[in-house]
Amino acid sequence: MSDILDVAVRLAAVFVAFLVLPLVLGQTEHKVMAHMQGRLGPMYAGGFHGWAQLMADAVKFAQKEDIVPAGADRRIFQLAPAVALLPYLLVLVVIPIGPGNAVGEFIDAGIFFVLAVLGIGVLGSLMAGWASANKFSLLGGLRTAAQLMAYELPMLLAAASVAMAAGTLSLPGILEAFHWWWVPWQIVGGLVFFTAGLAELQRPPFDMPVADSEIIFGAYTEYTGLRFALFLLAEFAGIVVLCALTTVLFLGGWHGPFGADGLGPVWTLLKTALLAFVVIWLRVSYPRLREDQLQKLAWTVLIPLALAQIALTGVVKVVIQ
Amino acid sequence: MAIPGSGLAKGLAVTLRTMTRRSITDQYPDVQPELPPRTRGVIGLFEENCTVCMLCARECPDWCIYIDSHKETVPPAAPGGRERSRNVLDRFAIDFSLCMYCGICIEVCPFDALFWSPEFEYAETDIHELTHERDKLREWMWTVPEPPALDPAAEEPKELAAARKTAEKLAAQQAAEAEKKQEDEA
Amino acid sequence: MTGTADVTALAANAHGFLSPAGVEILFLLVGIVTLGAAVVTVTTKQLVHAALWLVAALGGLAVEYLLLTAEFIAWVQVLIYVGSVVVLLLFGLMLTKAPIGRSPDADSGNRWAALAVAVAAAAALVWVVVDAFRATWIDLDGAVQGSTKVSGESLFRYWVLPFEALSVLLLAALVGAIVLSRRDIDGGTKKQPGTTGKAGKADKGGKH
Repeated sequence: MSDILDVAVRLAAVFVAFLVLPLVLGQTEHKVMAHMQGRLGPMYAGGFHGWAQLMADAVKFAQKEDIVPAGADRRIFQLAPAVALLPYLLVLVVIPIGPGNAVGEFIDAGIFFVLAVLGIGVLGSLMAGWASANKFSLLGGLRTAAQLMAYELPMLLAAASVAMAAGTLSLPGILEAFHWWWVPWQIVGGLVFFTAGLAELQRPPFDMPVADSEIIFGAYTEYTGLRFALFLLAEFAGIVVLCALTTVLFLGGWHGPFGADGLGPVWTLLKTALLAFVVIWLRVSYPRLREDQLQKLAWTVLIPLALAQIALTGVVKVVIQ
Repeated sequence: MAIPGSGLAKGLAVTLRTMTRRSITDQYPDVQPELPPRTRGVIGLFEENCTVCMLCARECPDWCIYIDSHKETVPPAAPGGRERSRNVLDRFAIDFSLCMYCGICIEVCPFDALFWSPEFEYAETDIHELTHERDKLREWMWTVPEPPALDPAAEEPKELAAARKTAEKLAAQQAAEAEKKQEDEA
Repeated sequence: MTGTADVTALAANAHGFLSPAGVEILFLLVGIVTLGAAVVTVTTKQLVHAALWLVAALGGLAVEYLLLTAEFIAWVQVLIYVGSVVVLLLFGLMLTKAPIGRSPDADSGNRWAALAVAVAAAAALVWVVVDAFRATWIDLDGAVQGSTKVSGESLFRYWVLPFEALSVLLLAALVGAIVLSRRDIDGGTKKQPGTTGKAGKADKGGKH
């Protein structure tokens, strides 16, 4: 019986994190972005510096009418937000936040699981883009798919480098094998992974699929109310997942300068938060690239860098053995 | 050519620096904004100076100034003199739903009856109520800031010079009279 | 949980078809769903729906791998087929022709030939698998037989030659794709495919 209880508690914890962290991140984005632009951001909801703004947004979204366009493919249109959101929930289950057993569910081929399931999220955008019966949506879907060709390969290669270094595919296993000098050793791979991850999440400067000034809101143009909110939640959950994943793979997860035993989860969360800040920071600082510029960046910069990182990893690995 | 990526770093630095500075947003309904001293918020009317010459109403590009008046005859100042007629203002209203705040009325007023006031909180829920009558325009007159002081070495304003001249003349006359009286008494 | 494990162990000992364990029932059910999705994939007249049913079929296959304890293969299946191949398929559909609703002209005239080929292929595969494994049972309680370590060891110890041969084949396909997608090669300019000339505008997609 304690087995079931244990699993239930773990899943509940992951679910709570899945609901809370994206909200915290969204509020942070509101505020950080505002201050980086010399504004204040939300100030009213909740009283103190608008801390409840996203909850107010959620209430607003819940009240809105759920519209399905007349020409849309009804079922697929309604299913798409779930397909976009669920993969991130699944990925969050396997990310270790502390030493020992502090992980939702141990999976042997953790990296593969994470990358595979993250790839499914793209299907949600594609389904939404196609089923909306809207040309802007279709363009957004097309751009989403085109983008996949740019980020998928460098992301896999960069992750493969870490797996080579650690000699395992499991995320807790990688953290067990981590030493501090892995950070400089794998830094190039980390940068490639993070950049490719940004492209996967369609975050600026790689937000061509949702480019609101060109194609309204890409695949999400026709969505209203809760379904739209689910897409937004998917975006923020995606940021949390990407940052946590980069932390685990390249920044040593729960390892810290001191107190690794007790403070493990704190270190993980701290590094994740730092990376999330960088994601927001990049959004504020850089203009949007074109789709072909992303392809060029990926195929002429990211992939060669990732391959070089793999070569370096192999050489160092052989030398220290 | 600089180091590759230095432009990217510069962009990041700009946003980070901005974040550490105070934001420039005014929290208006909670905190009153600090307006520049000569803010052109609304037009105030100093009725006493108005002679109903209608210049403002005629020059207004939007025709948003409404003026009604009638003539009154004033009894002669000195017995046996001629009766004078005088314009009396009945209505002076500005429709601020039409006004485009060009300020031409203020510029053309030859008698300094119209002024810019920094007051700006006069929104209404009905567009008809934006036509403000003379009493309201007069209230705004009291919010008009004092005219800026003259330069230290500036010439005296014409009005003051004229008034002083008259006063000096009067004083000299009185002094002369008093002297004459003293001489007579002596 | 412990109850199920006991039943599994019993079934593994007995190997009886008449007393299926929970895992076996699940395997069968998922298999039926996968088969159903696959059939719908080839019979539906809505093109994009067909691609999405393909996702269901491939996902069902991944679950089957998982139930056979081949965890690594399962995730690779999801990563490559669901995450990339189907997305490319959808991309292609959207680029060319993806109407919402039925497309009456989607029927192929040689569907009977296709059916025959499919049945023949399925029969050959089933025969090979049944002949190879016959009554082999996976011991669910023992060491995991499909883990990354085991897969990697068998792949790089016993199957290196086929692995490398496949790699060469894929590389040849890649080079071929690049050659086909570059129009400036066969024309007046005598550029070699290997030279690092400025890439054409249209070949970015074709490379993948």
